Amino acid sequence: MKLTAEDLKKIRFFDHYTDKQLETIASMSSIKDFQVKDIIFEQYDELSEVYVLLEGSLSLGISLAKEKRIHLGTIEEGQLFSWSAVFPPFISTAWVMAIKPARVIAVDAKKLNKEIEADCDFGFKTMSKIAQTISNRLSDTRFQLMNQMML
Amino acid sequence: MLNTKNIYKPLKAKLTEVIEESPVIKTFVLIPEKEFSFGTGQFIELSVDGIGEAPFTPSSSPLVKDKLEVTVMKTGYVTEYMHDLKPGCHMGIRGPYGRGYPVESFYGKQVLILGGGCGLAPIRSLLYALEHIKDKLEKVILCYGSKTASDCIYKPLFSRLNSIDKFEAHRTVDKAEPGWDGSVGVVTTLLNKINVNLKNSIAVVCGPPVMMKFGTIRLLEMGYSDDQIYLSMEKNMSCGLGKCGHCMMGEFFVCKDGPVFTYNELKNTPDIWK
Repeated sequence: MKLTAEDLKKIRFFDHYTDKQLETIASMSSIKDFQVKDIIFEQYDELSEVYVLLEGSLSLGISLAKEKRIHLGTIEEGQLFSWSAVFPPFISTAWVMAIKPARVIAVDAKKLNKEIEADCDFGFKTMSKIAQTISNRLSDTRFQLMNQMML
Repeated sequence: MLNTKNIYKPLKAKLTEVIEESPVIKTFVLIPEKEFSFGTGQFIELSVDGIGEAPFTPSSSPLVKDKLEVTVMKTGYVTEYMHDLKPGCHMGIRGPYGRGYPVESFYGKQVLILGGGCGLAPIRSLLYALEHIKDKLEKVILCYGSKTASDCIYKPLFSRLNSIDKFEAHRTVDKAEPGWDGSVGVVTTLLNKINVNLKNSIAVVCGPPVMMKFGTIRLLEMGYSDDQIYLSMEKNMSCGLGKCGHCMMGEFFVCKDGPVFTYNELKNTPDIWK
């Protein structure tokens, strides 16, 4: 399903982008639906899309072996995931699975990277959002770690 | 004239019900022998004759004067004894002590409440108080985290809150057990999905020290200012009078000046999360 800039304006994640920038994002994005237990990507998969969760619920985790999945947390509506698609070597650091029917915005990572290089303002905004996502996840991991250490 | 009132003398209260909230947390429903008033966020000393006393913030509505609910986590000698008590016996209460939530300063605002573990006890009392004045508030959002779903206390509270106009409640667990289909992750992950108007919002944080630290840091990152964040320093409460000195935090006596503080008041205090 194709997206428009108007669709993106309704989503908090896309605040602060200009109308023109939203049009650019819309032109490189599509909507994808996933059913319960669908794997969006596996750990160590090569990634080509960055996602923003619109509806539903996703589980994010890591695997020690293919059959042993460790569930680390839930991706909440409005959150960005699959950020590894933007940075070499473009390999996922975790797996993501739908635990409730989910609808996501899938952004073509190659086109996104080109635009990041071409438009400094767009690039700064996008990298800030990705950095914020990674920072939050790191902070949550430290929180989890301290919880474990205090047990 | 000499004041002969014994400030340590408890008020007798009959235990009428014991509610098992989680494997280590119970709520005691008490009927005091005379009406007992407290402000939400203030605390009491709950005692058992011959055993001892410990400070707790009531979890019941501050509007109810003839019944008091106190939620107790089994953590030591006194609380272990309390957990063995049966309805019909008597306990002692003295108080209320300290400074509670300045609810009137919340008028017209969005109230974001971040709670963890047994920290939901004082928050429940606050929620009752906020429900009473909901017409004067813009919105109330509760984000609560527990270790597992079975460690979550007041389970029916969440669906009830979500059915009240202007209230929304979100839950997460650190570790999912079979059958849990809600959010998984530390409580700060819930902040990713809520929508707040920062300029017109205050935040309340109550829970274990680690959760309070990371919760406060995330709220500051979101853009809350130091004086928009209220912290309930439950773990520092002690004799209730500021006499024993155990509640001292920097320049404050938590028993008298708290347990509710703004982050602005405490931010320069060493080891506030200890």
